[in-house]
Amino acid sequence: MQRLRGVRPVKLTTNERWDLVDAIAERTVTVGTYRQTIGDILGELTVKPATGIPVAVAVLYAFWSIFGSFAGTLVTDGFMVRLFDDHWLPWLQAAWPGPDSLLYYLAVGDPLAETCFEAFGMLTSGLFVAIGVVLPAVLIFYLMMTLLEDSGYLPRLAVLMDTVLHRIGLHGYAIIPAILGLGCNVPAVTATRILETRKQRFMMMTLLAIFIPCGAQLGVMRDVIPDLVGPVMLYLICGFGIFGFVLDRIIPGENPEILIDVPPYHWPAWENVARKLWTRTKGFLKEAVPFVLFGVLLVNLLYLAGVIGALADLFEPLFVTWFGVPKETVGPLIAAFLRKDLAVAQLSTIAMTPYQMITSVVLISIYFPCVATFVMMLREGWKQMLAAVGVLFAVVFVYGGLIHAAGILMGVA
Amino acid sequence: MNEPIDTGTTVLMVGNPNVGKSALFNRLTGANAVVSNYPGTTVDYTEGTLIEAHRTCTIIDVPGTYSLTPRDAAEEVAVRLLGEYPGAVVLLVLDATRIERGLYLALEVIERGVPCIIALNMTDAAHDKHISVDAAEMERVLGIPVIETTAISGEGVKQLAGMIRNAKAADISAISGRLNGDGAAEEMVALRSGCSGCGVCGR
Amino acid sequence: MRKKLSELAFGETGVVTEILASGRELNCMGLRKGKGLKMVTKQPIKGPVVVLIGEVEIAMGIRMAEQVTVETG
Ligand SMILES: Nc1nc2c(ncn2[C@@H]2O[C@H](COP(=O)(O)OP(=O)(O)OP(=O)(O)O)[C@@H](O)[C@H]2O)c(=O)[nH]1
Ligand SMILES: [Mg+2]
Repeated sequence: MQRLRGVRPVKLTTNERWDLVDAIAERTVTVGTYRQTIGDILGELTVKPATGIPVAVAVLYAFWSIFGSFAGTLVTDGFMVRLFDDHWLPWLQAAWPGPDSLLYYLAVGDPLAETCFEAFGMLTSGLFVAIGVVLPAVLIFYLMMTLLEDSGYLPRLAVLMDTVLHRIGLHGYAIIPAILGLGCNVPAVTATRILETRKQRFMMMTLLAIFIPCGAQLGVMRDVIPDLVGPVMLYLICGFGIFGFVLDRIIPGENPEILIDVPPYHWPAWENVARKLWTRTKGFLKEAVPFVLFGVLLVNLLYLAGVIGALADLFEPLFVTWFGVPKETVGPLIAAFLRKDLAVAQLSTIAMTPYQMITSVVLISIYFPCVATFVMMLREGWKQMLAAVGVLFAVVFVYGGLIHAAGILMGVA
Repeated sequence: MNEPIDTGTTVLMVGNPNVGKSALFNRLTGANAVVSNYPGTTVDYTEGTLIEAHRTCTIIDVPGTYSLTPRDAAEEVAVRLLGEYPGAVVLLVLDATRIERGLYLALEVIERGVPCIIALNMTDAAHDKHISVDAAEMERVLGIPVIETTAISGEGVKQLAGMIRNAKAADISAISGRLNGDGAAEEMVALRSGCSGCGVCGR
Repeated sequence: MRKKLSELAFGETGVVTEILASGRELNCMGLRKGKGLKMVTKQPIKGPVVVLIGEVEIAMGIRMAEQVTVETG
């Protein structure tokens, strides 16, 4: 008779185990005739290079244009800007007592500002960036990402991207953390666990933290510097490639090839889509919004205390001579510790040339992960995290200089 | 023999990637684990609670793995969890359309001598593909409960929850014995003794 | 005819006769000796191959595909 526990453990060899599996399957499974479905045909078409690559380009293009037109044009420009600039800001400026007080400065900001971006108070810029710009952006981004995840397209995209990514020591499945990272870097850091070796995980985590902008940052970029998003992304993608290539040569370890399951397509269940959308949006409201508001507060306090002015003077040589951007960029860089979206918004209020704007947005993206990502990286191991930060500083210095050099060569810097 | 498992049991959900473990986990516990159609969605574990017939048990959603020799860091988590909870019940989740490799991992777990129960998930997809799996026969051969489920619609989840306390450790040599037909069917007594006879499972 | 898996043409089918290295990894994903398979696609410039084994579709690197011998025809 069997007892509940205490059945003696045995260890079969692989072959013995498979023999047993075959015997059990033979007893229990009957496979009828099967006709190919539309899903199977689509599955083949989207993974074959001749048809799959055009489809991949179309999917990514559609992704970006829906993101821009829904989040940017429709919600932010069409509704939120009016709501915040024409009603909320003037009302707050009039209603909040004592335009000279510290509290007014922190909460409302500039009493004469005409847009919520310029005012830079917690309740003006802070709320506008968080709710008016970033919320619609992450909402539509997550919706589309969920559809990609649930349909079964991602593994096929991974197969198509493998040839390129394998050249820089990763493999196609690194596309999973990369795409998750375009939504938010935090879950993407943990998702690097699907890569096989420490080397690949470290590389992906570092490249992710440096070169992959999150959905919130993309949303603000699309809103405040729509024409410059292209060049910024180009610089980031090139950086990913260049430094991936370099890291692959420097870091010891193996680069195993891709080996994944390609699941059949199926229709996303709306229940699951809604549930994921809600969980992720709730996460954003609970975790990101307070950080944005706190970021505004902190930057304002540091300005008042003269810290940012002092830092700007201290780093002026590095910024002006090496990177070729105004020294005022120091302020947004500090905000970027907390939230990159806030930093880009702040940057847009500083007067500079398009070239300088591109460089400084790239710098904001690459110079340090936001605090939430940083904590996640720490969870994956502090040694790796320290090494990643080391790589990061080297990359910022080298790549920032390279971009400046490129600008000088092109005659725009 | 077959004493019911006490309250406070820990249940580990183990299976190949993308077989619907997290979907089933959400159904069992009402949790919000991420469910996506690609292997490797879950890379860390999530805990949830199932209350069934006045007993509570802790259910842990484990990253998917193809074998107990881990290939990547997510699979390492799965294997580590099995080591960390030696007394846990293992809920083996199999994809009914890809039975063979699910069974391979299942046997690897069964060999460890831990109490197991099998959820045969994706029965809807198997039906669409004209694949039929004889759950009753599998249960007889393996000597552990096998319950058919469809995690996306919730079918079979109730029965599964009710059967968790009947999880049993199986003996490999007895399994091969039954496969070779030396009538060891009497071992099957009381496999479902904990069943309240509600009739839902139809057996 | 015996061939490496990597040499199969699109749509060609075969039966696995031998797996050299990394056998275990392929094994537990369902690709093993005696199993019939079909080449779904090969990516250009030494990219990965995608094969169908029963209900299971697996993408693997070209070097791994070179380790697998199949009998065709
Ligand atoms: N047709 C069908 N689809 C299902 C069923 N259960 C889950 N799915 C789908 O299968 C996919 C994978 O589900 P998950 O729950 O994420 O799988 P998992 O086992 O947790 O996967 P990993 O976390 O990667 O190990 C999702 O797209 C689900 O919607 C089912 O019973 N029938
Ligand atoms: Mg899961």
